[in-house]
Amino acid sequence: MDVVSTSAIRITGARKRYKPIVGAPERDAVRGVDIAVAPGTIHGLLGPNGAGKTTTIKMLLGLVKPSAGEFRILGEDSTCPQGRRRVGFMPEQPYFPQHLRADQALRLYAQLAGVPRHEIVERTSRLMERVGLQGREKTTLDAFSRGMLQRLGIAQALINDPAVVVLDEPASGLDPVGQRDIRNLMLELRGGGVTVLLSSHQLSEVEAVCDEVTIMNAGVVAAEGQLDALLNVEGRTSIRVRGLEAGLPPEVRDLAEDVAVSGGVSVFSVPDESVRAVVDAVDDAGGVIVSISPVRDSLEDYFARLLTRSAVEVGSR
Amino acid sequence: MMSRIWTIARGVVADSLRRKVVYIVFVFAALLAMAIPSLPSYGLGVEDAVYREVALALSFATALVLSLSLAANRVPSEVEHRTVYNVISKGVGRWEYLVGSWLGVFVVTCGAIAAFTAVEQVIAVLRYGDAMWQLWQGALAVWLEMGVIAAFAVAVSAITGPVVVVTASLAMLFIGHSRSTLVGGEGALALRPFYPSLDAFNVVNPVAHGSGIPVLYIVSMLVVFAGFVGLALAIGVALFSRRDL
Repeated sequence: MDVVSTSAIRITGARKRYKPIVGAPERDAVRGVDIAVAPGTIHGLLGPNGAGKTTTIKMLLGLVKPSAGEFRILGEDSTCPQGRRRVGFMPEQPYFPQHLRADQALRLYAQLAGVPRHEIVERTSRLMERVGLQGREKTTLDAFSRGMLQRLGIAQALINDPAVVVLDEPASGLDPVGQRDIRNLMLELRGGGVTVLLSSHQLSEVEAVCDEVTIMNAGVVAAEGQLDALLNVEGRTSIRVRGLEAGLPPEVRDLAEDVAVSGGVSVFSVPDESVRAVVDAVDDAGGVIVSISPVRDSLEDYFARLLTRSAVEVGSR
Repeated sequence: MMSRIWTIARGVVADSLRRKVVYIVFVFAALLAMAIPSLPSYGLGVEDAVYREVALALSFATALVLSLSLAANRVPSEVEHRTVYNVISKGVGRWEYLVGSWLGVFVVTCGAIAAFTAVEQVIAVLRYGDAMWQLWQGALAVWLEMGVIAAFAVAVSAITGPVVVVTASLAMLFIGHSRSTLVGGEGALALRPFYPSLDAFNVVNPVAHGSGIPVLYIVSMLVVFAGFVGLALAIGVALFSRRDL
């Protein structure tokens, strides 16, 4: 079986064209987007504001009518209601009827999701605890802070024990502890075999948890793949050494780039084929190798470079 | 399917019961009902008939204000506040959401009309020593008509905001009770079968001045109700299913 047919989420040829009633020209918010998410993985969806991420997610969840494309979750058409029954969704903003209490809101969504009646109370209190809202069950939502609503949003997304979870900016509005909790929760979900599609602006969060990413810009996919493959700089290796107070040996200095020295530790990159020679030279000079690893871009740098490049491409068309 | 519709309807009922408008309209209408006997047109010998007629008119006005205030706001508010996201993404069909919203409004209207009719009956007993049970027939007609108006309002609200919904619904109400005025002329008689008339629900005369309405008429009224509600909701679902949320 190929990757596409075994995907937990599969989006093929997604397009959303907005047609103004009069005057302004038609505008494509999303065009020709293909995304395949493997089961039991965390897949990041990245892109600047207006890239089409949220529109793509909304089309996947039947909230926006696609102009074209196929949207499948666990093999079923997710634009139809029955195709969304095993999905949990947390929108970017936590939207709840403010007059409800937290437990009432969760019960409402449990009933809508078809959770068996006898399980609702137990599941509600378990999830409240899981997202750190234990003891707040009887609080009305208009008294909830943004962070608490965000946590409740995650609880409602998980109320039906979904096999696929779509999270749109889940850490937005959360303090650092809350952000860490969300990261751990995502890893926990993946550990339980749940597939997570994560749309986020927080690149550190994406870098910390995602197995693969799709980067969108101007309504199209600008890059996709495993983070390591995207971020590793082809052909160069990063070496950390200590014990070279006199500086790098001359034969290393000729090969090294991006040299940084801090606290007696030197970090530099060399071509892959020179690694053996550099290690020997450092050894001969009395230095100690601390680590050797492929040179890796930060996601921030990669992201910025990619968007600059695609902006130039769009501009030159 | 039905459980999802009921869940949405229950949500509408719970939300409605916390709104002040429901109680304000009810108290205001009850006060007016108590004031009916003091109306200047209150003639000797026909007091009870006039009482029933005005009581029905009050029921109608109360139910209309209530139905429109609930039905016109429900869907636009949920779309605007995006609370609808959590509902639709749970695998609830848009049609289930729309029908559930209508059903909730219909249930609240039922409760309000029943309570109001009970108040009118109590006043009737105290004032005339007559329970006037035929008021319940009038209440049923008002309730069914409000069901049609609410369905129309929900359908329009699938694509537009509350102001347009209320205006369109009042226009629909006016048109629905103007068949004889608008297409009553000789040359226009052929249009009559297609006219969206709500006259079937006008039972003021038999209830206020006659001996009530027969069971067969009630059944036929239910058929008209089901037809109009079904048509309005079908149009609403067709509109809502095309809408981007």
